[in-house]
Amino acid sequence: MNAPINERQAALMGMGESRLRKEDARFIQGKGNYVDDLKLPGMLHMAIVRSPLAHARIKSINKEAALALPGVHAVLTADDLKPLKLHWMPTLAGDVAAVLADEKVHFQMQEVAIVIADDRYIAADGAALVEVEYDELPVVIDPFEALKPDAPVLRDDLAGKTEGAHGKRYHPNHIFTWEAGDKEATDAAFTAAAVVVQEKMQYPRVHPCPLETCGCVAAFDPIRGELTTHITSQAPHVVRTVVSMLSGIPESKVRIISPDIGGGFGNKVGIYPGYVCAIVASIVLGRPVKWIESRIDNLSSTAFARDYHMDGELAATADGKIQALRVNVIADHGAFDACADPTKFPAGMFHICTGSYDIKDAYCRVDGVYTNKAPGGVAYRCSFRVTEAVYLIERMIDVLAQKLGLDKADIRMKNFIQKEQFPYTSAFGFEYDSGDYPTAMTQVLEAVNYKGLRAEQAIVNANPAAPTLMGIGLCTFTEVVGAGPSKICDILGVGMFDSCEIRIHPTGSAIARMGTITQGQGHQTTYAQIIATELGITSEEIQVEEGDTNTAPYGLGTYGSRSTPVAGAAIALAARKIHAKAKKIAAHLLEVSENDLEWEIDRFKVRGNDDKFKTMKDIAWAAYNQPPAGLEPGLEAVHYYDPPNFTFPFGIYLAVVDIDKATGETKVRRFYALDDCGTRINPMIIEGQIHGGLTEGFAVAMGQLLSFDAQGNIQGNSLMDYFVPTAVETPHWETDHTVTPSPHHPLGAKGVAESPHVGSIPCFSNAVIDAFAHLDTTHFDMPYTAFRVWKQLKAVGATH
Amino acid sequence: MQVTLEKNYPVAGNVAAAWQVLSDIRELASCMPGATITEQTSETQYKGSVKLKVGPATAAFAGEITVLEVNAGEYLLRMIGKGADKGGSSASMELTANLIAGDGVSCTLAGKADVIVNGKFAQFGGRMMTSVSDMILQQFAANFSAKAAALNVVPPVAADAHGHVHPHDHAHDHAHDHAAAPAAAPAIPTELNVMGIVWGLIRNFFASLFGRRS
Repeated sequence: MNAPINERQAALMGMGESRLRKEDARFIQGKGNYVDDLKLPGMLHMAIVRSPLAHARIKSINKEAALALPGVHAVLTADDLKPLKLHWMPTLAGDVAAVLADEKVHFQMQEVAIVIADDRYIAADGAALVEVEYDELPVVIDPFEALKPDAPVLRDDLAGKTEGAHGKRYHPNHIFTWEAGDKEATDAAFTAAAVVVQEKMQYPRVHPCPLETCGCVAAFDPIRGELTTHITSQAPHVVRTVVSMLSGIPESKVRIISPDIGGGFGNKVGIYPGYVCAIVASIVLGRPVKWIESRIDNLSSTAFARDYHMDGELAATADGKIQALRVNVIADHGAFDACADPTKFPAGMFHICTGSYDIKDAYCRVDGVYTNKAPGGVAYRCSFRVTEAVYLIERMIDVLAQKLGLDKADIRMKNFIQKEQFPYTSAFGFEYDSGDYPTAMTQVLEAVNYKGLRAEQAIVNANPAAPTLMGIGLCTFTEVVGAGPSKICDILGVGMFDSCEIRIHPTGSAIARMGTITQGQGHQTTYAQIIATELGITSEEIQVEEGDTNTAPYGLGTYGSRSTPVAGAAIALAARKIHAKAKKIAAHLLEVSENDLEWEIDRFKVRGNDDKFKTMKDIAWAAYNQPPAGLEPGLEAVHYYDPPNFTFPFGIYLAVVDIDKATGETKVRRFYALDDCGTRINPMIIEGQIHGGLTEGFAVAMGQLLSFDAQGNIQGNSLMDYFVPTAVETPHWETDHTVTPSPHHPLGAKGVAESPHVGSIPCFSNAVIDAFAHLDTTHFDMPYTAFRVWKQLKAVGATH
Repeated sequence: MQVTLEKNYPVAGNVAAAWQVLSDIRELASCMPGATITEQTSETQYKGSVKLKVGPATAAFAGEITVLEVNAGEYLLRMIGKGADKGGSSASMELTANLIAGDGVSCTLAGKADVIVNGKFAQFGGRMMTSVSDMILQQFAANFSAKAAALNVVPPVAADAHGHVHPHDHAHDHAHDHAAAPAAAPAIPTELNVMGIVWGLIRNFFASLFGRRS
């Protein structure tokens, strides 16, 4: 055990190493264990009867034919849930949502009834036999129409309520008005400004598209009075709390297990009617009940993202120094406000919209509105509403540059928060912990030969005979992740801390249990690396377990890039508790004072004496079998980490696109992504996360869209239409990084998984629109399908 | 999903014969493949059904037709039909049909249809709605024309307005069969075969690539 330091260091596979993903061996062999893999004895299957109409009164529901079908055990409607008071449920946003449609339907594909049967096929056949008669009501799809004085009232259940969860409601279809910043000072800055630009933009309704849809297996044991539910959840502990509150079963008798999860991206944060119905059915029938969503059900009814109609304005000096930002947003929340945000923030962290820039005055206002669409509003691979915020500011700064005839890199350099200004308090009150934007920017501009690209662009775009238009997009974003400090962040009153419990076994291997849950992020790999470095145990000997509420400490789960910023810190601090106890034991074993010891990779040694040491393995054995007098045996610790602040990862992205003037097709010639996520735990996993996030960003910018016709029929809710890029469409990604550690995080880490999604979408928009800049186009909305781009080419007379 | 179709169709019968078909709702309904009138509930209201077949799946729309205007002087008919299927689709169509006199053996049917479709058909078939509606109306117009043509050659008094309909296996071929045999009572399938229509669309699409349409 007296190997050279570098060998011992390498053996740990600790922080900074590109350790191969421990999860992959089972996934690539088909040995994953997903919810739909679970088969319990006596298990029944559930299918959901959904509304074909977007807004209608239910005249009657006839179950007879379905119940007559052999193999059907039960058909439940809102009327059956009423005696249990489970026909409506509270949402994360302080509203209520129908579990099964109660008297009327509010959106197409809403859950109207459930059928429980022996297998999935009989359940589906039974669902087709449930006859529902509707009286059609006028449909409201456009949130601006919804706010008109004579608009149809969508929520009968809220009639007369002028006070919502977030203050006054001024219209029956209005949910909340949320404001941040200083309106007066901002208005004054706009009045006095030399230059003002304004742009309206829609961030369309999109939907996360994880490979695995939502589902659960609910198993109520009527003898023991215990409920065990395997569920596709990004936050199993929160689910346990909510299930206990809704069902009245003590939290100690509710066990929620998130097994392997096939991607979440925010889609698996919410609590959906399907889960509640499966649980109720299991309690009623005393048998396990499985519900697995189809792809169409997933895209149509579980949580969407975005749907923000944004109106942005910048006030600036004549030479392009931004003085003030003003934003008004109409937020389409669908039929129920089920937005997944910290309770006090109905528009999430949208007020990060001053971005990476030093803007003195800012004001934003978001009005939430009901429409006849599915509820949701989740953070699709981003922290709460950060994607929308970054889109707004990154588009607006380009609009300003075009108005002033300034270079889009120069205007950013001119407005960046400078390195010496950190910690920097934004006009909206965020305290940015750290950053160095100019250094990162210079690194990117040099790597791509920005000047050369601009020179090439000038030639191409000046030539009407050229077959393509060339665009260069920049996005220099700052994210706010790691929610969050519990003094301001909670979900249903539960503070947004996270947790870790580490046990070192007598022979020196270890297990860590976490309040988070991996959905592809590679927690089992990276968490072990943190412990390896902190405690000197090889990462191969460290098991990481998550997702079972019976064994894991309470935590708020994985979303909003919070695993590393919050749970990662909990791991480090739990490990440091163990480290402190280990030091006492080492001192005892080596018969020296603690002050005489120093830590070296995997051991405590007597200062200056390489031969007098105790490895963590030696210490683990002693901790159980020969602890010093007065010290309790064992070597374990739990830490609940309540972060003092958010973390602020940032990035500088640059895209080059070529747009075919004949077809409108956009080819991504180059995409260069520099990310600064602070301390890097596993560079390989970071790169994988960035590739994934960029690809999802590409999907949103170039094709993903959930649109509706005037009658509220959802269009394109299958993968025939909904764009999921494959290797064929996906561009080549170039990645780079700088490292600016977070000063308040025990490891200096900031989180990375969402940056590439948040940052790439405006980068693509900016690139496409930049190709039209010389034709006086300042904006047109995503997604940039060939048809939309071609229409724009046509509008400016640039088609070939 | 709303589609408005406005189109003129040639009718191989004179305007008087065509008006006989147009003004008899039962006759008119039978021109729509798969449609039947099951009951007359008032002077202007009817109950009926449309059977639709998409591959192995069938849907039965039950609905109501209300005649809004019958103007014999102008050969004009306006009606509105609404229906729903138990499986989760609903549709409505407001139809204005006007006959324009021709040369004594033919005339023109000028039709305008506002079609609204909700539910599954609107979700999955949205982008094909216009083409599918167009094909359905073409089939309808062809049947209509054949019926009018039959009345043209047979004296009206002898005409069996509710002529027996023979089952026909090749629904999609039918539209092309009738022109050669105007005197034969048209055989109208008892359900609307959407696969046949889709096949027609695909054929038209490829034909259009080479600059012609069948």
